[in-house]
Amino acid sequence: MNKLSWHRTPLLTIVFFAAKEIRALVRNITNLLPVLAAVVVTDKLWVTYSVIGAYLTYIVIRAVLNQRYFLYSLADDAIHLRSGILGKTNLTLKYERIQQAEIDQSWYLRPFGLVTLRIDSAGSAGKEVEIPGLSMTRAHYLRERMLDGTATVDATTECVAGTDAVAEQAVNTAVTKPVKHIQFPLGEVFRAGLIDNKIFVIFAVLMYPITQGDFFEELVIPWLTKQLSFIQSSAIMSIGIVVLTILVMFFIAIGLTMLRYYNLQLTVVDQLYQARMGLLSIRTLGFRYEKLQRVQIRQNIRSRLLRRYTASVNQLQPRATGQQQESTTFVLPILTVEQLSQFCQWLGLPRTDTLLWQKIHFISLLHPSFWIALTAPAIALTCYFNDVTGLVSLAIAAGTWVLLQAYAVARWHRYGFVIEHGWLAKRHGVFGRKENWYPLYKTQQISVYQSPWLRVLGYAHLVIHSAAGTEMIKYQPYQTAVALQQEWVQRIGTDFRRWM
Amino acid sequence: MNLSWQPVEPAYKTYLQLVVITDMVILALIGLIIYILPTEWQWLPQPLWVGIPWAVFTLAMTFIWPSRRLQFTAYARPDEAVFLRRGALWQTTRAVPINRIQHVEVRQGFIERTLGLAHLVLYTAGSSGADLSIPGLKLATAEQIKHELIQTITQQPIAQETHE
Repeated sequence: MNKLSWHRTPLLTIVFFAAKEIRALVRNITNLLPVLAAVVVTDKLWVTYSVIGAYLTYIVIRAVLNQRYFLYSLADDAIHLRSGILGKTNLTLKYERIQQAEIDQSWYLRPFGLVTLRIDSAGSAGKEVEIPGLSMTRAHYLRERMLDGTATVDATTECVAGTDAVAEQAVNTAVTKPVKHIQFPLGEVFRAGLIDNKIFVIFAVLMYPITQGDFFEELVIPWLTKQLSFIQSSAIMSIGIVVLTILVMFFIAIGLTMLRYYNLQLTVVDQLYQARMGLLSIRTLGFRYEKLQRVQIRQNIRSRLLRRYTASVNQLQPRATGQQQESTTFVLPILTVEQLSQFCQWLGLPRTDTLLWQKIHFISLLHPSFWIALTAPAIALTCYFNDVTGLVSLAIAAGTWVLLQAYAVARWHRYGFVIEHGWLAKRHGVFGRKENWYPLYKTQQISVYQSPWLRVLGYAHLVIHSAAGTEMIKYQPYQTAVALQQEWVQRIGTDFRRWM
Repeated sequence: MNLSWQPVEPAYKTYLQLVVITDMVILALIGLIIYILPTEWQWLPQPLWVGIPWAVFTLAMTFIWPSRRLQFTAYARPDEAVFLRRGALWQTTRAVPINRIQHVEVRQGFIERTLGLAHLVLYTAGSSGADLSIPGLKLATAEQIKHELIQTITQQPIAQETHE
């Protein structure tokens, strides 16, 4: 092996490493609760200041050292990384194993024309590799090469430069390859904000510190009651305040989504799919078609009212990945019916209105109906023993039972699966709807599952383990399930196309 | 496709019984310690109320469950896949296509080693904890199957591009 040339990231990336430290701090905040408690409880101000000061110094020193010891090297077929202050890590990652690459123009690096390259590998550790402080040209070249896998990059992609590189590159390659492009105007992004409203997440984030420790109960709440005592005299005022708070948070939530998806554009060149988005930090996500493991099409109540869809594409998901899934998935948050069918056509999904969704046998209603039937008398009794008259409790119980049973029937009615052109799709959901599409030949395992109850009925669940998650098709007649399992396994086992 | 199911070793039953007995003895020990310790806990029921269910459960798990489990557990190896069925009451038949296997492992626990048994684990990509593990094989058989599987995998044609 020829000698590797190691590069160090620019000094500016200290900011990046510091930001990483701060993110780690936020994630592990619960571990620091004792320290926080000490800071809050003490009446000596210098303790507070010294703790905060010490931590800031620690972050800065760590960031500087991390930057100093972070080295990367780009070989012909792999990327090598060296990092760590005391515990050293050497990492080698083959280009062809990369599932997805993302170019992140963080707001603090953007003015300097620098970007962060983020790579998802197929490894089992679920490790994300990040290289901060690359120039746009270099990052694009690298990403191109990584996603290409075969390391045959023509010269045209190398000379691309500037922030509009994606568009430019699209123009460059348009000569030879057909370019498909969707641009999402601001109105659509606003709708995406409505659909993908994170208001409850914001609530949760705000509520978290309030529920932790006595500090807020002892200090903040008395203060609030004192300040707001004039409000309590008028009911309209307090309702108004609550409504206003919710409204403000609602719009903050829309704003956050819009910041993220601002100027979203989807470009498809040959087999390379990329989405570019963001107002302050611009992110460019990309994956190659053959890495696709699952396509998910979702609709919640809001998007059904707006007649829009959300589509996401998953690649191989390593074991034991954390909760950060959401941020790195390739998501198109808002698609009209036409755009969706266009996107599906590009991906080769045989998704049409005339699809024959296969229902499952209505015997599957037996199990939920049994439990629903049990809740009705329970509700009636609870009501009765809480001094509700007999007739009213009966009415409440009957009403609840009818509603729940109707919901169960609707769920069963909406549940369906279809196998078409080598794709397996399953849909479910009554109010919010979800469709999952899997290329069948990429399936990893197929199980037939029978509980004692299912065995009595003569049915079985069919469980499909794909590389991007597990899907269950419920209540198939046992013989059918076994036959399907054997047929699919044989088909997969004799299919030697590349699956990742 | 007609699968020829291969049963696992009868010693697998002994293995399951040993596992059950070990677990139940540990449970019993914990119970004994709670009862023997001089405490003022009044809420503890009479020892018999705990002992009899424990005994019944142990007997059922030792004499009924392992034989049922052994009866159902089997594997099959058609050319393109590995099938495994296991379970006693909740039964699963799992299939892994050979060209999706990531790596193969032969494992032997302490109890298995005393009985000369091993189990063979096939790993696939993605889904966590969804791996196929064939229990109750003789160590030599497990090694042999592993060898054959690896042979088959390496002889497979190189993955072709999906571009049409």
